[in-house]
Amino acid sequence: MTSYVERQRKTKLGRPSEADLRLKNNRLGMTIFQISWIMVFLAMIIVNWQLRFSYSDWPPAGVAPFDPLLPSAATVALLLSSLLVKRGLQALRQGRIGGFLLDWRGAMVFGFAFLAAIIYEFVSVSNAALATQYGITMRLMTGFHFVHALAILAFMAHVIRRGAAGSYSGDEHESWAVEGTAKLWYFVTLAWILFYIVLYWIR
Amino acid sequence: MENRGSNTPSISPAAVVVAAVFLLVSVIGINWFTTFVPVVLPEQASAESKSVDELFYILMIIGGVVFFLIQGMLLISVIAFRARPGDEGDGPTYHGNPLLEIVWTIIPALVVVFLAVVSFNIWTQNTEPKAAINMVEGQSISINVTGARYAWTHQYVTERFDPDGNQIVINSGPELHTYIGQNVDLTLQTQDVIHSYWVPAMRVKQDLLPGDPRRGGRPTQLRFTPIRVEDRSYPARYPIVCAELCGDGHGRMQGTVIVYEDESQFLDQFYEPAIYAILNPPADPVLRGEIEIQNYICNSCHILDSLGWTSTTGPSLNGVADRAGERVPGQTAEEYIATSIWNSGAFRVPGYDQQMAAFGPDVMEATNVMSPEQLYSIVAYLCTQGEQSDCDMENASAAIPDAIQTVFGYEVDITFGMEDDEDEAMLEADAASDDESGASG
Amino acid sequence: MATIAVPLGGQAEQQEAEAVRRPALSDYLRWSVDHKIIGVQYGVSAFLFFIIGGAMAMGIRLELWTPELDLMVSGAAYNSLFTIHGTIMIFLFIIPMWAAFGNFVVPLQLGAKDMAFPWLNAFAFWLIPPAAVVVLLGYFVSPAEAGWTSYPPLSTLFSGDGQTLWALGAHLLGISSIMGSINFIVTIFNMRPPEMTIWRMPLLCWAVLATSIIAVMATPFLAGALTLLLLDRVAGTTFFDAAGGGDVLLWQNIFWFYSHPAVYIMVLPGMGVLSEVLSVHSRKPVFGYRMVGLSSMGIAFVGFTVWAHHMFTSLQPELRIPFMITTMIIAVPTGIKMFSWLGTIWGGKIRFTSAMLFALGFLSLFVIGGISGVMLAALPFDIHVHDTYFVVSHFHFVLFGGSVFAVYAALYHWFPKVTGRMMNERLGRIHFVFTYFGFLFTFFPMHVVGMLGMPRRVAVYVEAFQPWNQLISLSAFVLGFSTFIVIYNVIKSYYHGPIAGANPWRALTLEWQTTSPPPPMNFDDDPIPFEDPYGYGTEASAAYLEVVDEAFGVRSNRAGEH
Repeated sequence: MTSYVERQRKTKLGRPSEADLRLKNNRLGMTIFQISWIMVFLAMIIVNWQLRFSYSDWPPAGVAPFDPLLPSAATVALLLSSLLVKRGLQALRQGRIGGFLLDWRGAMVFGFAFLAAIIYEFVSVSNAALATQYGITMRLMTGFHFVHALAILAFMAHVIRRGAAGSYSGDEHESWAVEGTAKLWYFVTLAWILFYIVLYWIR
Repeated sequence: MENRGSNTPSISPAAVVVAAVFLLVSVIGINWFTTFVPVVLPEQASAESKSVDELFYILMIIGGVVFFLIQGMLLISVIAFRARPGDEGDGPTYHGNPLLEIVWTIIPALVVVFLAVVSFNIWTQNTEPKAAINMVEGQSISINVTGARYAWTHQYVTERFDPDGNQIVINSGPELHTYIGQNVDLTLQTQDVIHSYWVPAMRVKQDLLPGDPRRGGRPTQLRFTPIRVEDRSYPARYPIVCAELCGDGHGRMQGTVIVYEDESQFLDQFYEPAIYAILNPPADPVLRGEIEIQNYICNSCHILDSLGWTSTTGPSLNGVADRAGERVPGQTAEEYIATSIWNSGAFRVPGYDQQMAAFGPDVMEATNVMSPEQLYSIVAYLCTQGEQSDCDMENASAAIPDAIQTVFGYEVDITFGMEDDEDEAMLEADAASDDESGASG
Repeated sequence: MATIAVPLGGQAEQQEAEAVRRPALSDYLRWSVDHKIIGVQYGVSAFLFFIIGGAMAMGIRLELWTPELDLMVSGAAYNSLFTIHGTIMIFLFIIPMWAAFGNFVVPLQLGAKDMAFPWLNAFAFWLIPPAAVVVLLGYFVSPAEAGWTSYPPLSTLFSGDGQTLWALGAHLLGISSIMGSINFIVTIFNMRPPEMTIWRMPLLCWAVLATSIIAVMATPFLAGALTLLLLDRVAGTTFFDAAGGGDVLLWQNIFWFYSHPAVYIMVLPGMGVLSEVLSVHSRKPVFGYRMVGLSSMGIAFVGFTVWAHHMFTSLQPELRIPFMITTMIIAVPTGIKMFSWLGTIWGGKIRFTSAMLFALGFLSLFVIGGISGVMLAALPFDIHVHDTYFVVSHFHFVLFGGSVFAVYAALYHWFPKVTGRMMNERLGRIHFVFTYFGFLFTFFPMHVVGMLGMPRRVAVYVEAFQPWNQLISLSAFVLGFSTFIVIYNVIKSYYHGPIAGANPWRALTLEWQTTSPPPPMNFDDDPIPFEDPYGYGTEASAAYLEVVDEAFGVRSNRAGEH
C-alpha cells in the first residue's frame, strides 16, 4: 500500500516538462491532421476513378490526353523544393540560420515554379476535355491542390521572414513553426505525387 | 483487486426457476410475436414475397430470442440486484469471464453467418433472371417504366404492328397490368431525379437512376412474379409507391399494379382493348387529344378536373381556354397553348417555377416525343377546357394547324395520315365525331 | 488505512457548504480556452438546437396527424422541415453534444490540466454558431428540401439557394468536428498520467478515442463530397449530372462513406457513457473491460466497410452481397458490448439514480435498434423496407433510444461535477418515465407502418395508416413534453440543487477526485489515478475513496437515493 507514495514520487519525475509535452502534442497533432486531410485528396482520386466508369474510354473519345511533360517538370521542381525544405530544416537544427534561410528561399523559388506550371496546366485544358469529366476532374484536382500549395507557400514566406528576424534557434522547442511548415510542405508534395500519377499516368 | 470469482452468483434453485420462467416467457412471447407476421406485412402477392416473409419470420424468431434474453436479464437484474435501503456497499469485484466473453462473441458470429447464408440464398433465388419474361401470347415483350416528377408511366412495347409497320406501344399511365404467373421484368428509367419503384405487396423495390439520355440513359431492372392471393377477386389492385424523396409531390407519386387472374383475362380486359384503341383512334382531334394528353406526364404537375388530375406543382388547366387568349398580347389562344407545350420555358405563370419538361418532335426523352399531329390534337382538347373558349372552335381544324405553322413552322396533317388509305371509314368517323364535338363545344 | 498517502495533494481546500465556486454565466458567452467552459458552451448550444430540432419534429408529427397536407402549404415545405430537422439533430445536436461531454470529462478523467490544444478547441467550438446561422439562414431563404442526405440531382438541379447554404454550413461543421477530434486523440495519447496505461483508461476515453479516429478518417470525405456539391451548384461542374458525364451514385458513395461511420460518431461516446454510468451506479467493475474497449475499435473499423448498405436499392445487384455481410458483422462487437453491460450490472448493487435509469433505458431500447439493424442488413428484407418508416424507426431507436438516452444519463451523472449541485432525482425519474414510454410508443409503431407500405419523407399517405400515425403523433407530443421536465430540472438544480461535493457517486475515475466544479487548472496537484478505474468492491478502492472524501469533505446527500 505504500506503493502510492513511491508511485507519486516516480510520477513527478516521469511527467514531461510543459515544453516537451507541447512539442510532443504538436507533432502528434500534425501527424493526425496529415492522415486526416490526405483523405480529402483520396476522396478526389476516388471521384476521378468512379467517373472513369461513365466512359468507355479514358480519356473519352475525341479528347486528347494531357501531355505529361510540363507536369513532370513541375513534379521534379516540387520534389527539389521539398528536398531543400528538408535540408534547410537540418541546417536550422545544427544552428546554421543562414543555411536554413538560403535553402528555404530556394525552396520557395522551386515552389512558385511548380505553381506557375500548374496554373498553366489548369488554364490550358482544351474545351473538348472540359466537356467531359476528363477535364473537369483534372481542374478539380489541380485547383484543389493549388489552393493548399499556395497557402503553405505563404506560410513559408512568413516563416522565412521571422527566421531572418532571428525568431528561431537550433532548439527544436523554439522552431516548431519551421518544422510544422516543413511537414505541411511534404504533405503537399505527397498529395501532388498521388494526383500526378492518377491524372497523367493511369489511363 | 484480484478476481474474486467466488463472488459470482452460483447456480441456485431460484436461478433454475428464474431460467425456466424466462424460457417459458420467451417461447410464448416469440410465438406471440410471430402471429403478427401476417398482420404487419402486406398481402403476399408475388413469389418473392413468400421467401422474403420467410426470412422475416426467421429474423423475428432470432430477434425475439435476443429481445427476450436481454430484456429478461435486464428485468431480473433490476429486481434481484437492486441495492436494498441502507446498503451503502459495493458489488462483487468481478472483472469478467473469458469463457463467457468468447461464448457471446462466437454465438452471435455464428448467428450472423447463418443469417448471411439464408439471406444470400433468398436473394439469389429472387433476383435470378428468369427464362420467359413478360410473356404475352407466347412472345416476350418489353415493359418500360418511366418515373418523372411526380408520376409513373408504363409502356408495353408489343410484338404487334400497325398497318404502316410500326411497333405498337401501349401506354397505360400509372398502371402496371400483369397476370398471375407472368414473370414481370421491368426496365426502369427516370426523366429527372432519383425515384424508387416500390410495390409493397410484391416486396420489391428498385431505384431509378438518372443517366445520360444520349447514351440510352441508365436503365435498371425489377423482377417479380405475381401469385394468387387467397380470397382475392381478380383483377386485383396493389399500390405502387415512390420510396425515394423526389421533391414536392413525392408523397403523391403513386401507381397501381393490376393483376389479372390469367393471361386470357389480361388479354381481354387490357391488352386487346388497348391495341384496338391505338389502331382505331378517333379522327376527331378533340377526342384524340383527350387520349393523347394522358399518354404524357402532364398529370404529374397539373390540375384538370375533367380527367381527375390533382397535382398542384404546375398551374391548373381547368378553364385554360378561357385565359389563353389574354395571356400574351398579340398571340391567339391556340398559339399560346401550343407554345406552352413545346416551348415550355417561353411563358411562366406568376407564382410557379419553370419546371416543365420539354416536349416536341426531337426531344431526348422517348416519352416526351410529340409529333405536330399529337400537338394539334392536344391543343384541340385543351381548347375545350373552358366555358367561353378563346379558341376558334368553329374552325379548329384550320386555326390550330395555322398556329403551329406560325409558331414552329411545322405542317400538320389534320387527317392523321389516314386520308390516303381508308376513305370511307374515315368519312363515317368524321360524321360521327362532328356531332360529338358539336355537343361538347 | 492511515498509511495511504493523500493521492491528490494535501492542499485541496474544503468547500464551503453554502457556496459553490463556479464561473459566472457571462464567462460562458465569451471566448475561453478552458475545456470546462468550452464543454458547457458545446452542451448548452447543442441542447438549444435539440429543442429547435425537436420543435420541428413536433411540426412533422402535427402534419402527419391527417393523411392530407394541412399544416404545410406544400409538400416542398414539409420536405424542407424534415431536412432541417435531420441536419440540426445530427450536425448541430448529437455530434456537438458528445464534444461537450468529451471536452468536459476526458481531460479530467486523464488528470490533465486541459486539452492538448486549448486554442484549437475553442476555435472548433466557435465555428459552430456561424455554421448554424448559415444553415438556418438557408432554411429561411429558399430552404434545402432534399433531405439531410441531399441526393443529387434533387439537391443540385432541382433545389433552391438554401441548399448551397446548407452545404456551406455542413462544411464548416465538418471542419469543426475534425479539429475537435484531432484534439481528443492527441489529448488521450499524450496527456495521461504515466501510471495510467491505455488499459487503465476509463472507457469513456476509449469510446471518445474510437469516435475521434472515425471522425478524422471519415469527415474529410464529407468535405470532399460537399465541395463537389457546391461546385455543381455554383460553378457549373457536372460531377453529379449524368448529362455532363457525371454519376449520381458518386455522391451516394462518398457521402455514405462519411455518413455511415458518422452513425458511430453519434453513438460510440454514448456507449462510453454507459460503461461509466452502469459501473458506478451498480458499484461493480465493468465486465470484460478490454473487450468493451476493443469492441469500440472493432465497431470503428468495421464501420468503414459497410457504407453501401444505404444504397441497397441503387447499387449494382452483385455488389450488394458483400455489404450485407460486413453490415451483419457489426452486430458481433455491438453484441459484446450489450452482454458486457448486462454482465456489469448482474450481481451488482444497483442504485436507481436518474442517470442509471437512462442508462438502463438505453440498454432496453438500443437492443431493439440493434435487432432491427440486423433485419435491415438482411438484403432481401431490406429491399422491402428500404426508405420506409421501418428505417425511420430503426435509426431513431439507435440515435434517440441510444444516443439521446445516453446524453440524458451523462447529464444526470456529470451535472454535479459541472455545476457543483445535484439534479433533482424525483424530477429525473418523472422525466425518465415520460421519455421512455413516449419514445417507445412513438417509434415502435413506425416499424409496422413502414412494413405495411408507408415510405419515409412523405406528407401525404394512405388513409389506412391514419390510426397508426395518430398514435405515433400523440406519443411524440408526450415525448416532446418530457423535454420541458429536464429543462426545468436543469435550471432549478443549477440554482437550488443540493451541494454535490467532490464525489457524490463515489466513483473512482479521476474527474471525481477534485472539487465540483473543478478549479481552473482542474487539480491542485498532479492527481494519482486509482489503479483500476472500475475497481469497486475492494478494500483499496474504499480506502482511496475515503482519502478523497477526507480531502474534499463528505456530503451527506450523496447519491441522492437513500
